Amino acid sequence: MATAVILPKFGFTLESSRIVRWLVNEGDTVREGDPLCEVETDKVNMEVEATADGVVAGIQYPAGADVPVTNVICYILKPGESADAILAPEHASAVAAESAASTPAPAQPSTSAAQKAANGVPINASPLAIRVAEEHGIDLASVQGSGAGGKITRADVEALIAAKDTPKIRATPAARRIAAENAVELSTVTGTGPKGRIQGTDVTAAVARKPAAVLDMPSAPSSAPEPTPGNRVIKLEGMRRTIATRMQQSFQQAPHTFFEANIDTAGVDALRARLKARNEKLSVTSIIVKACAWTLKRHPYLNATLTGDEITLWSDCNIGVAVALENGLIVPVVHKVDGKSLQTIQTEIDDLAARARSNALRLNDLADGTFTVSNLGMYGIDRFTAIINPPQVAILAVGRAVRQFVPDEHGSPVAKSLVSLMLSTDHRVVDGAQAAQFMADLRLVLEDPMLMLW
Amino acid sequence: MRELSYAEALREGLRQMMETDPSIFLIGEDIGVYGGAFGVTAGLIDQFGGQRVIDTPISEAGIAGACIGAALTGMRPVGEIQFMDFVTLSMEQLVLQAAKVRFMFGGKAKVPMVLRMPGGSGTGAAAQHSESLENWFVHVPGLKVVMPATPYDAKGLLISAIYDDNPVIFVEHKLLYKTKGDVPEKPYRIPLSQTHVVRQGQHVTVIATSIMVTRALAAADALAKEGIELEIIDPRTLKPLDDAPIIESVKKTGRALIVHEAVEIGGFGGEIAARIAGSEAFDYLEAPIRRLAGLDIPIPYNRELERNTVPQIENIIHEARKLAQTAY
Repeated sequence: MATAVILPKFGFTLESSRIVRWLVNEGDTVREGDPLCEVETDKVNMEVEATADGVVAGIQYPAGADVPVTNVICYILKPGESADAILAPEHASAVAAESAASTPAPAQPSTSAAQKAANGVPINASPLAIRVAEEHGIDLASVQGSGAGGKITRADVEALIAAKDTPKIRATPAARRIAAENAVELSTVTGTGPKGRIQGTDVTAAVARKPAAVLDMPSAPSSAPEPTPGNRVIKLEGMRRTIATRMQQSFQQAPHTFFEANIDTAGVDALRARLKARNEKLSVTSIIVKACAWTLKRHPYLNATLTGDEITLWSDCNIGVAVALENGLIVPVVHKVDGKSLQTIQTEIDDLAARARSNALRLNDLADGTFTVSNLGMYGIDRFTAIINPPQVAILAVGRAVRQFVPDEHGSPVAKSLVSLMLSTDHRVVDGAQAAQFMADLRLVLEDPMLMLW
Repeated sequence: MRELSYAEALREGLRQMMETDPSIFLIGEDIGVYGGAFGVTAGLIDQFGGQRVIDTPISEAGIAGACIGAALTGMRPVGEIQFMDFVTLSMEQLVLQAAKVRFMFGGKAKVPMVLRMPGGSGTGAAAQHSESLENWFVHVPGLKVVMPATPYDAKGLLISAIYDDNPVIFVEHKLLYKTKGDVPEKPYRIPLSQTHVVRQGQHVTVIATSIMVTRALAAADALAKEGIELEIIDPRTLKPLDDAPIIESVKKTGRALIVHEAVEIGGFGGEIAARIAGSEAFDYLEAPIRRLAGLDIPIPYNRELERNTVPQIENIIHEARKLAQTAY
């Protein structure tokens, strides 16, 4: 029997590849492993290799065609085997198969006149249909005509193209309902059912990982259980489970990379001192949030979210501030930080933190974060690394300010107050140089806060 | 409570109704002196006499026709077809007359009759004595179809069928006649069109009829040891069907398996599947709706072949397990 050669799936997310050129012709003898054609993937060009020894036959797509992965691109016949051994392409309709006898498409883009079956019978199609089919590398033998006398019309070809372009999501009705109820994109959910079908339980798990899982919060997180002798067992539920699931997902799925910079706080200290003299409060967190927004504007790849196959670069900087609670933690978001004054940011952060602790946050307070700041400096932590808050792609961990001697330009020791800023980024989205440039600009603006006016 | 066999429960229901209501009489082949091919009417001729327990020649069209005529004049006849297979001879009477009279006379005439008949295979009686033809009647407007699975249901449903003013096809099962179960002595009615959740479970809804209810329960016991909990539902009345409990159950489990002995194609399972798919339960489905039913062949005489023609306990276990594990 003839061996069917399929277009391999070169990458996880690859849906289709374009055939750049064929390296063999029908009738050529090949050995297993010989290159058959060159295809273009989303990264590099690859060669499709022969999967058996034999003679190339039944090339299904011309060069230039965009072919869905796993579709048959050609056949390899055993020596002495005739081309009749080729099975009709799976998608060929009965009518087309009958009239065209499983005609392979010509190896090279054909002229209109060449759109005929191997047995020489012309295919009944309108000229427009033939042109559209050729433009999209569609074999007309696989199209069922809906026109008079079974004539293939442009609409028939376009319907086939549309069907190829939209990969069908396989999901159970339950999965579709749960996804709709929770505004989950099914394309972002991994299916565990037969052939990767998305089950309702898969969507439920995805919902649990969504930031909007605030509904899982226990109504009274502050009521500590009575201390009893011996060990205490706490169920992994509610907020604890949400944190567990999301942090585990993030640390397992996002390849974290870390970038530390020690920043001279003299400029920040001076600004805070001036405001303090006027009886105004400005926290280190607030000024770092503002500085981050300023820097994110210049480095949009860090002001982003990754969902499924899509990276969204956000126009607003919505910065989450991690707030520790007695039984967990929550990250309320200051929205559109870039357009707000330091004073407004300070007021909002105070309000969000107070409401977080009294369990009075609204869903909106937690939504649409694009970046997160976590400050543990007040606990005397010198430095730490933070886990990215998905679907965001970066988080900044702030340590305490430490006075230490550093050499000045003459080599003499100078006492400076330095604070450790540790950036975690998701390497799927952010490369090292981008993260480093972000940190360089963040240093710039924090060491010279006047730049925030710019 | 007192245990009776399925046959005894039917007999008790007949006797108690005949004792209280002189308009009720029985008619069929060998139901008198012989007591019926499966002994359901044993002894009734001694109590009620040949006027109310009427033996007929081999004449299924006649039995059905006599019931219709008597019912039209105000009697409540209970006919017996010895084997369901031979109801084929009564089809003109049942489909064209019994089912249509009330409608065509604008409700001025009614046909309060019951036609009892044993269906099903498993007795080595071969292709002409083993059929399950219930869905023929489900398809006819004007007929009701009842299929009890337990002695308790048999008595309660029979009494309701006798007092229903429409022709009721009452399908018994040969292998159930000797099964025992709790049956109250006092007469009681189980309303027609009342689906029964026989066993609660959260993983797979199994909708079964007649003897398949018994087999599904055995399968549920086996699967419970694996941690798979089946919810077993018995419609009891196929028509008019009370589908609400089925839909509710599938909303809970997301998985439906329909089991009946009758041939799968054109069988009642297709109707159930369509009801589920067309209801709000659709949005809760986690797997395709599955059917497990008879093969599309006449019932063979050979015991081994006969057994393999209709669903058995192990088949139900296998199918339900695959469904629960999302293997479909």
